[in-house]
Amino acid sequence: MLHRRVYQFLIVYGLGLALLLGIKYLLDLSNYVIPGPMEIWTTCREVTRRYFADVMDTMTVAIIGQVLSICMAGFIGIVGRQTTWLGSFVKVAAYNVQAYPIVALAPIIFILLGDGFISRLLIAAMICYFPLLLSVLGIMSEPVRDIEHFYRNTGRLRWQLEVKIRAFENIGKLTTVVAGSATLAMAGTIVAEFIAANAGIGYSIRIALYQSDLGKILVALFLIGISLSIYQGLLEWMGALVRKAWESQ
Amino acid sequence: MQLSFNQITFRYPGTDTTVFEDLSFQMAGPGFNALFGPSGVGKTSLARMLTGDLDDFSGQLQTRDIDRILYSYNLERLPGWSAVGKHLERITTPEQQAKREQLVDLFGMTPFLGSRFSQLSLGQKNRINLIRYLLQDFQMLIMDESLANVDELTREKIILNIKALFPDKFFIYISHNIIEVSKFCRDILVLAGSGKKRPAAVVRGQDLQAGQSLEKQHLETTMLEIMNAA
Repeated sequence: MLHRRVYQFLIVYGLGLALLLGIKYLLDLSNYVIPGPMEIWTTCREVTRRYFADVMDTMTVAIIGQVLSICMAGFIGIVGRQTTWLGSFVKVAAYNVQAYPIVALAPIIFILLGDGFISRLLIAAMICYFPLLLSVLGIMSEPVRDIEHFYRNTGRLRWQLEVKIRAFENIGKLTTVVAGSATLAMAGTIVAEFIAANAGIGYSIRIALYQSDLGKILVALFLIGISLSIYQGLLEWMGALVRKAWESQ
Repeated sequence: MQLSFNQITFRYPGTDTTVFEDLSFQMAGPGFNALFGPSGVGKTSLARMLTGDLDDFSGQLQTRDIDRILYSYNLERLPGWSAVGKHLERITTPEQQAKREQLVDLFGMTPFLGSRFSQLSLGQKNRINLIRYLLQDFQMLIMDESLANVDELTREKIILNIKALFPDKFFIYISHNIIEVSKFCRDILVLAGSGKKRPAAVVRGQDLQAGQSLEKQHLETTMLEIMNAA
């Protein structure tokens, strides 16, 4: 699944690049608007090392933010699965709050917390938290009746067992959601860096934008895409390992 | 042990569909009794009333000497994270260990204890599910198609063994197999399909025990009565 993710990205990136170059040659655009293959290659050699470090910086923030989100979504999802007053309240609150665009809050976070690590982390976590929460809530509040019936009927269904049954039955969905949330965490971090931070690949893209240097942006996009594909592939692989380990108990 | 329904009326919530209207009957336990009737006639609803899962009905439902009612059905599954033998161990008290081994052997499930639930055939799944219910503390066990997909000979062997091993328990056997309920059950509540004058009738079955021989005449009479009532 790792190599499949990378292949898919390379195909999509290659098609995108070909389209861009096609437009360039079709409309006879200058290298200033869309750089040619040689210019892109030269830019690539110049900035790859620096941009790779930036991508790793961004990715570190995104991963920490994603882990925080998973923990929070897991906790709230488990509380919100209940049919009690608290469970219903958590569910309704989660559905209502997620409707608000978190990116719109980013400036407030930067004003209050500055343009450092914490702001980037918070925005990354918040952006991937709500979709994760909704998925976890959906999975955790859906009873697996055919399995739970016996335990409920015999008074053995403690909350830990209930969560275990629901997680096990939906491990494929959970893995997909976690892998998908990596993109959101990365997007959140890049958006945060793009808005106001002073580090990371989002910050480098902002500078490239001010310089109108599409070559740099294309190199940044390639590095973001390939790193994210590898990370998502690793998450899926780990999900498959967890399932395998769980099933072989 | 006694179970009695007095003028029970039940409609599916939010609809005008009447499932039971003034349904009254009595069943005495312990032993094997049955619910019989065409699909959709309300057998499972009646079972759920007994377990307390459905309480939106009028009339009186009374039980005597029955405190703990369990309900098993044929679509139940065991979690997939460990072998079925492990699951059985976890839900059995040390005192029940010998009974567990006996049931597993009688139900022909010994070779499959190391298998995951998903690796079993439908009949094996139902047998392992029924074993775990029989290992619980109960006075009444409702078996809703709990032996579906099990071959006839094995099913007969299982029912006779359950009768012999649990003589003080009340079983309600829900099945579409007219020969089986006529043969093995004592009181058979036949819920009639639409268009019948009487909504329900209790027919006396043969209540065959291990070692007894089948009275063919009696069996045929029971089956005819059920056919007339259904």
